[in-house]
Amino acid sequence: MIKQYFTQAWAQLRQQPIISAVSIAGTALAIFLIMLVVMMQQVKVAPFAPESNRDRFLHAHYMSITNQNWGGGSSNGPMSAKTARECFQILKTPEAVTIYTCMVISTPVNLPGQPSIGIDLLQTDDIFWRVFDFSFIGGKPYDKATFDAGLPVAVITESVAKKLFQSTDVEGREFLLNHAPYKVIGVVKDVSTLATTAYGQVWVPYTSTEITKDTWSDEHMGMMSCTILARDRDDFDAIREEAERRRQEYNVLIGADGYELIYRNRPYDQEKSAIAFAANLEPDVDQARRQRLIIFVILLIVPAINLSSMTQSRLRQRVAEIGVRRAFGSTRLELMGQIIAENLVVTLMAGVLGLLLSVAFAYLGNTLLFAQEFSQTLSPPAVNTSILLHASTFGWALLFCFILNLLSSGIPAWRASRVGIVNALGGRLH
Amino acid sequence: MTKKLLTQIKNEWLSNLWLALELLVVSVVMWYVVDYLYTRAATYLEPRGFNIEHCYLIELGELTPKSPDYTPDKSRDDTHADIAELVERLRRRPEVEAVSLSQNSYPYNGSNSSGEVRYDTLQSPGWTIRRMVTPDFVRVFRYQGTRGETPEQLAEMLERGEFLASDNLYRKYDRKLTEFVGKRFQLFGDTTKTYQLGASLQNVRYHDYDQAHSSFCFLAKQSFYYVGLELCVRVREGQDNNFITKLKEDSESQFRIGNLFISEIRSFHDIRRNFQQAWTNNIRNYVMGMGFLLLNIFLGLLGTFWFRTQQRRSEIALHKAHGATDRAIFSRLLSEGLLLLAVVTPIALVVDWNLAHMELNSWRNDTTLEWDRLLFCAGISFVLMALMIAIGIGIPARKAMKVQPAEALHDE
Repeated sequence: MIKQYFTQAWAQLRQQPIISAVSIAGTALAIFLIMLVVMMQQVKVAPFAPESNRDRFLHAHYMSITNQNWGGGSSNGPMSAKTARECFQILKTPEAVTIYTCMVISTPVNLPGQPSIGIDLLQTDDIFWRVFDFSFIGGKPYDKATFDAGLPVAVITESVAKKLFQSTDVEGREFLLNHAPYKVIGVVKDVSTLATTAYGQVWVPYTSTEITKDTWSDEHMGMMSCTILARDRDDFDAIREEAERRRQEYNVLIGADGYELIYRNRPYDQEKSAIAFAANLEPDVDQARRQRLIIFVILLIVPAINLSSMTQSRLRQRVAEIGVRRAFGSTRLELMGQIIAENLVVTLMAGVLGLLLSVAFAYLGNTLLFAQEFSQTLSPPAVNTSILLHASTFGWALLFCFILNLLSSGIPAWRASRVGIVNALGGRLH
Repeated sequence: MTKKLLTQIKNEWLSNLWLALELLVVSVVMWYVVDYLYTRAATYLEPRGFNIEHCYLIELGELTPKSPDYTPDKSRDDTHADIAELVERLRRRPEVEAVSLSQNSYPYNGSNSSGEVRYDTLQSPGWTIRRMVTPDFVRVFRYQGTRGETPEQLAEMLERGEFLASDNLYRKYDRKLTEFVGKRFQLFGDTTKTYQLGASLQNVRYHDYDQAHSSFCFLAKQSFYYVGLELCVRVREGQDNNFITKLKEDSESQFRIGNLFISEIRSFHDIRRNFQQAWTNNIRNYVMGMGFLLLNIFLGLLGTFWFRTQQRRSEIALHKAHGATDRAIFSRLLSEGLLLLAVVTPIALVVDWNLAHMELNSWRNDTTLEWDRLLFCAGISFVLMALMIAIGIGIPARKAMKVQPAEALHDE
């Protein structure tokens, strides 16, 4: 039976080479574009190293603060390390809470007496290395004792190591970061800028610099963000509740000076955080989902109408065959199933083509496709297989192929199965 | 002729229905996309009110006690003096035209502060950006006055302690700020002091996709210097090749003053690209969508008409036998497609109008529904689609043209 679908589909493709080419091109084009949209979304939310735990992340990158004396005004942005500790790191429900600088800052590094190069510096705590899974090719991350002591140590990427020392085996060697001596404690594999939270080229303990003194609003606001790692997604509500309770407690404390922290429902999960650009606006996840849905619908409907028309034309040539099948006892349902299944063979072939094209395009056009919004770095968004291809990618591709197939062959198949036997044998489709 | 064509379209109504349906859906979506791209382009092309060509942002760093070169016990005044010295040294470089310090002020900057500009009962909008700058800021970014004041003149006004503001500040009262030049205003919500308006500025846009009429700002002089300020320079025209590399090379020997050092230099082209990536990405998506739709029309018509010309081989041959020229055959097939588009266009227009009426398309000039814009964008999408139809039908039609009547009618 299944073999017959293939033979029949193949025979038909060969019979009408131009129409077949057009059908395949139309289907492949649709799947190609749909998969690009899927990938553009996946790089933002699907897990890949070092952000393999994206499913369990809750982010509080920014918050807002107001004061009774500000006449309704607010200050919006990253928080101070103290606020991050008091409001988030103190929480009991999460597995871990890490505090790091709100963005990478391009910073000069060099060997004494040599010209400096600019690298993207992220300042973190020691918990950062538990929340994110970097692959170390040498050394290890800084631990709690090192962090608490504010020792000048750094984890650097392979490419920075090569640029600075012309080698990757550089554990223990010294270099200057902002003209202060730092010791390499670990070397990790390069991180794509698409890992928006973990990305950096050099990581140092934020206690080793003066960043925690860069504060305003009476040391409530500063340069820090934090990310919460939940034990399980099911804990999200509990964590948000606990964070909200803690906020209220803390507001009582700082309320003595008239201050009040505003979260706008933070912490956000990865999906919401990915579309949050302004500290003082809560992103609308439902709207973003609706938009994506509309895009998928348009990307499916337009080619489906096209393909329907072509399936219809093809079936017109086969009316007599349909008549014979019906005359020999094939039911309408069987007939419909057969037409749809035959069509599916073609759709799947075209779908594979479309998926291959989209992956190739994603590799070659990464700077165009994945260019990041409001980023601080000038490094391009590097992609690799672990970032682009997930099991779910294939799942989505298959799902969209099925939908497109049903849309494009459903109505013609239904119509064909309704044709009276006599008419069909006579070659009339109406 | 037209009547015959309509009859023919009616006879093939079923496959034409598919085509018409596709053309209708695509017409509407195309109009939406064209409308989006048109509004973005129109806004992009408005005058910006500033100029970033040959401009660079220099970020300063400060040594920490961890550095062997650190000088302890620097007071705020010492740092102020160090920064002033650094600015002066930059200014003395032959390729540098102007150097300025500012707070949350440079173009394409995500950070901003807002403030109020009040004259009697007239109040500026809530989102009026406060730019605290040194006078040369207007020379770096070449701000212009509405009465033809040059950046140099504007800088002198700031130097004198006067403030500058964009002309649209009192738009909601229907008054231009130009008429208030020389008057004294209250700034920063401080009622004890007044400031004289030196000049009204040609509207300074917040970024390239924000319209001039909705970007409000005012500028006042920043007198105290600290490390968090932005340091911007304008390089003389034609002299910015390798400006960044050269300055970095000299930064160790010439620009290490006190605890200060130059940590990063970026061109405003890079800053603009990074800041506007969100809009650029959207435009990219829409352009790709548009290409997809056009390709689909092409494929759809190519497929359908390929089929049709095959089926109508004998009919076409008959036409030819009766004296129809190749051109006549070609244009007849083409008209069939274009006529279909013409039929769905009025329906599409009604849908377009409704979408615009429901404010679902792009905003510009504070509205979504402008008749000239609606018709212009619908016109563009019509032309683009007609082009695709012509190409899609053209290929099979050319083949049909070459039908040999004698051969095709052989069976008859």
